[in-house]
Amino acid sequence: MSEAVEATVAEQDTDLTGANRILDKYVDFPGALMPALQEIQEFYGYIPEPTVHLTAERLNVYTSQIYGVLTFYAQFHLEPRGKYIVRVCMGTACHVKGAGRIAETIKDRLGIGHAETTEDLKFTAEYVACIGACGMAPVIMVNDGTYGSLTVQKVDEVIKKYQQMD
Amino acid sequence: MVNLTIDGKQVTVSKTATIYEAAKEAGIHIPVLCYAKKLLPYGACRVCLVEVEQMKGRLIPSCTTPVSEGMVVTTTSDEINKVRKTVLEFLLVNHVVDCPVCDKGGECDLQDLTYEFEVVTNRFEGEKFDLPTDEVNPLIERNMNRCVLCGKCVRVCDEIVGYGSYSFINRGFETKIATAYDRGLNCEFCGQCLSMCPVGALLPRPFKFKARPWQLKEVDSVCGYCGNGCTVTLGVLNKKVETIRFNDKIGVNDGNLCIRGRFGYSYVNHEDRLTMPLVRKDGELVETDWDEALQVVADGLSKAQKGLGVGIISGARLTNEELFVLKKVARTLGTENLDHSGGECYKSVTEGLKETLGVAASTATFPQIEKADVVLAIRSDFYETHPVVGMVVNQAIRRNGAKLLVIADKRGKLDKLPGARTLLSKPGLELDVLNAMAKVLIDEGLAQTEGIEGLAELKTALTDFDPAQVAERSGVDFELLQTAARQLAGAKNVAILMAYGLPYQGFNKELATAAANLALLAGIPGRAGSGLYLCGEKANSQGAIDLGILPQGNGLGAQLMLSAAAEGKLDALYVVAEDPLSSYPDRDKVAKSLEKVPFLVVQDLFLSPTAQQADVVLPAASFAEKDGTFTNAERRIQRVRQGIPTPGKARTDGAIFAAVAGKLGNSLSFTGPAAIFAEIGKEVPAYAEFDFNEIGPQGVVWGGETLQPVSHKVVNAGAGKTVEADFKLVTGSALYHSGTVSTRAKGPIAVLPEPYVELSREDAKGLKVVDGDLVKVNGNGVELQLKVKVGNRLPKGVLFVPYHFAEAQVNRLYKGEAVIAVKVSK
Repeated sequence: MSEAVEATVAEQDTDLTGANRILDKYVDFPGALMPALQEIQEFYGYIPEPTVHLTAERLNVYTSQIYGVLTFYAQFHLEPRGKYIVRVCMGTACHVKGAGRIAETIKDRLGIGHAETTEDLKFTAEYVACIGACGMAPVIMVNDGTYGSLTVQKVDEVIKKYQQMD
Repeated sequence: MVNLTIDGKQVTVSKTATIYEAAKEAGIHIPVLCYAKKLLPYGACRVCLVEVEQMKGRLIPSCTTPVSEGMVVTTTSDEINKVRKTVLEFLLVNHVVDCPVCDKGGECDLQDLTYEFEVVTNRFEGEKFDLPTDEVNPLIERNMNRCVLCGKCVRVCDEIVGYGSYSFINRGFETKIATAYDRGLNCEFCGQCLSMCPVGALLPRPFKFKARPWQLKEVDSVCGYCGNGCTVTLGVLNKKVETIRFNDKIGVNDGNLCIRGRFGYSYVNHEDRLTMPLVRKDGELVETDWDEALQVVADGLSKAQKGLGVGIISGARLTNEELFVLKKVARTLGTENLDHSGGECYKSVTEGLKETLGVAASTATFPQIEKADVVLAIRSDFYETHPVVGMVVNQAIRRNGAKLLVIADKRGKLDKLPGARTLLSKPGLELDVLNAMAKVLIDEGLAQTEGIEGLAELKTALTDFDPAQVAERSGVDFELLQTAARQLAGAKNVAILMAYGLPYQGFNKELATAAANLALLAGIPGRAGSGLYLCGEKANSQGAIDLGILPQGNGLGAQLMLSAAAEGKLDALYVVAEDPLSSYPDRDKVAKSLEKVPFLVVQDLFLSPTAQQADVVLPAASFAEKDGTFTNAERRIQRVRQGIPTPGKARTDGAIFAAVAGKLGNSLSFTGPAAIFAEIGKEVPAYAEFDFNEIGPQGVVWGGETLQPVSHKVVNAGAGKTVEADFKLVTGSALYHSGTVSTRAKGPIAVLPEPYVELSREDAKGLKVVDGDLVKVNGNGVELQLKVKVGNRLPKGVLFVPYHFAEAQVNRLYKGEAVIAVKVSK
C-alpha cells in the first residue's frame, strides 16, 4: 500500500532531476544518508517530501528512518524556507538588552515567529542562542549580514531594506 | 561454554549468551521492558540493570552484556531496586495511566513492574503526553500516550518483517515513535508490532473493549489459511473467538503471524456463516433439518452412483481425520473420482517431486531455511503466498548473511536486502531459467553426478537451454544466471522454495521437476541443513496429498470430473470446502459443469457462488470449531483444537461425512479424531509412528527433519512459454489474502477490499492512468474492468491480478496458463 502512496507523492510537482543527480553519487556508498540529505537541502533550500521518497527508494533506506533523521537534526528543514533567514539572538546579553521586543517587532511586521516563514517565501525567522556579538546587543543577522545595537525603529529599517530587495 | 555466578548460583551457558539469558536459563527473574527473545539486544529501558563484581562502580544492563568467564552477578539489591524504581518513576511521569480503559490492562509489562516495585508515588512531575491516537486504519490502534519508547515495534518491523513502518522521530522530550511524516499507519498490517508492545500503545482494534485478557480462554490451534502452519492461539470469550493471542512458545512461527493469521480469523464469526442445511425445493434453496438434507444427499449420490457416477472434489483445509473419513465416503459410494484443490496445482508435488525424488513432500523443515547460505525462491520471494516463511527467509538473509536468489516475473519485497538478487524473467519462462542453471552446473563440472539417474537424457534435453540464449529470451541477466547456479553449487546449505496453489498452475509440475533437477545436481535433497520446499496454498495441502485425496485407480481428477459433468457424463458432484466457481481456473467451464450436473452437493462455511448452484448445501465447521490435525508444508503434523462451537446447526466436515456414510448404509464408528488418526496410520505408513495424543507443542514431522529421497532421478522438465503481447497478465496471491475465504474476513478485507490490476509506473504513464482509475483488461475473449494499482515491483508490460475476489471473475480470463496475453485500455 505504501508503494501506491509513494507513487502518488512522487508525481507531485517537484523536479527530481537535481535530487537524482545528487543521489547518483551516493547509491553505492553505504551510510551516506546524511551527506545526501544535506546536499539535497542545499539544492532545494529544504527537503521536499518527494525527494525523501526518492532517497528511500534509491539508497534503500526506510522512509520512516529518513524522517527520523530529518526530525532529529535541527539542520534539516521540511518546509520551504525564506530567501532571507532572520536570526534573532536570544543570548543572555541580547535578552537583557531587549531581544524579546526585537522578536516581537519582527513578528508584528512580518507575521512570523520562530521557525516560521512568510507566505511569499521571503523571510524565515529563527530565534537562536548567542551569535557571539554581545558587544552589539541586541543583535540580529539576516543571512550573512549582522545588525547590532538595535531598536524597534532600526529593526523596521532593516526589514524595509530587505523587503525592497528581490 | 562459560561459567559464571548469578545470585550465588553457579551457571554454565553458551559464550554468546547475555547475562539476562543466562539468568533466565538458571530460572532467575530479571525484569525487562525492551527485551524480546527474537529481537537483537537493544538496552533502551534500563530496567534490567544488575551488578557485576568485575564491573564495579556502575550498574550493567543485563540484556545487552555478554557473559564472561568467572563473572559474579547480583540481580537484586537495595541499590538495584532503587534504580529500577527510579526508571519506572521516569516512565510514569509522561505515561498516561489509563489502565481501567486500556485493553492491555492485566498483561501490561509496565503495569506489572509498577506493581512489582511498588511505585506508589512519584518524586518527579511533568506533563502527561497528549498526542492524538492513530485510528486511521481499522486494525492497529496507536496510542502514543502510553508508549515507553522501548523501540520493540520499530525493531520487529525492521528486523523480522523488513517493512520499516516506524522510526523514532524528533529529539529529547519530544521523541516519539511515528511513521514517515507522522501519518496514520499504512502497512502490511501483520501486527507483529502489537504482539511486541509491552504496554497498551499498540493494540488490535477489532479486540478493543471486547475482553480483559484474563477472561479469555486460550486455545492453541493452527491457522486455517496457508500451508505454513503457524500456531494461532485463539482468545475465546462467550463461545466467540475475540482475538488471536501472542504465543511464541509453541509451533513453527516463533509468534510471528501475517495479517491473515492475526486478523483474518474473523470469518469464523461472520454473520453470513451457514447455520442450517439447505435443500433446493421448487428451484429455491430452503432451510431444512439434517435428517432430510442427509437423506436427499444419500439418495442423490447413490442414484448417481448407479447411473453415470459421482465425483468428489474437496478443498485442502479439512483436517487429516476429516479427509480420511471423506475417503471412506468415496469408498462407500464405490467411486474412484476423488480429488482436491482443482486437481492440477499440487502436481508439482505428486508428480514433479515424485518422479524425481520419489517422495511427495518438502525434504526439510522450515527452521533449516534460517541456516541456509543460499535461498533460491521460485516465482516469488514467498512474502505474498506464505508471509511467515518470507519472514524466515528475511532472517536468513539479514541475520545470517544468506544470499537470496529469486526467479520470478516480478520483484518481491526481499529484493532489496543485502545480497538479494532477482532473476527477473519474462512471465512463463522461469522454467527455462531453471533449466539453464542446471546446464551451467553440468557444463562447468559443478554438478553432483554420482548416483544420479537420467543424467544422459537430461544433458541431451538441456542442449536447448544454452544459458546465454535463455538469458536472451527470458530477459534474465546472463552473468546473474551463471552466478546464481554457481552459488547453488558452492553453498554448504541451500533452501529451494516454491509455492503452489490454484493461481499458480502454469508449468507447475514442470517447474517443480526443474527445481528438483537443480536440487539433485546441487546435492540438496537428503542433505541435512538443505532442502527443497514445495509449499501448498492451504492449511492442509500436504495432508491432502499424504492422505491420498487424489483420483483412485482409474478415477477422474477434478478437471476431468468437471469436464465429464459439463458433457453430461457425471450424475453427481460432491464439492467440499471449495468454491470452484470463484477460484478454479476457467470459470465458464466450471459454470457449465455445475449447471449440467444433475445433482450437486456443496459443503462449506458460506453460501458461496458454487453453493448457490447446489441442490443441497451442508453447513460445515471452520478450523476454530474442530479438533484434529493439519500437516503443514514441511510435513509437520500439528494439532488443531476446537475453540468455539459451530454456529447454529453446522457440523464439522468429519461429522457430516460420517453421517453421509451412515445414510448410505456404512455406519462408521469413529470415536473422535484420535481414533481416526490411529486408523490413518494403518493406511498411511508415514503417520503410523505417531500417537495423536502425543503430538506435542512443536508437532511431529513425518519422515524426519531431513527427508531422504527415494530416488535421485533427473527428468526433462520441458520448456516454458511466454506470450508475445504488449501486456502480459499473471495472476497469483496478494499478501493480504489467502484463497477466497479471507474475503469474508474483516481484517484482510478492510485493508484490501477489492480486486485490482497492478501495473508498473511506466505502463501507468503510458496508459495515462493513476491509482484507482478503471481500466478494461481484455484477454482470452473476456473483458474485465478493474481498478488500477500502480507499483514499482512489476516490469513494464507485466500486469498482476490477485485471484481472491469472486466478484472480479478473474478466472474467466485465467484458464490455468502461466501468462495471458491481454489488451489494456482506459
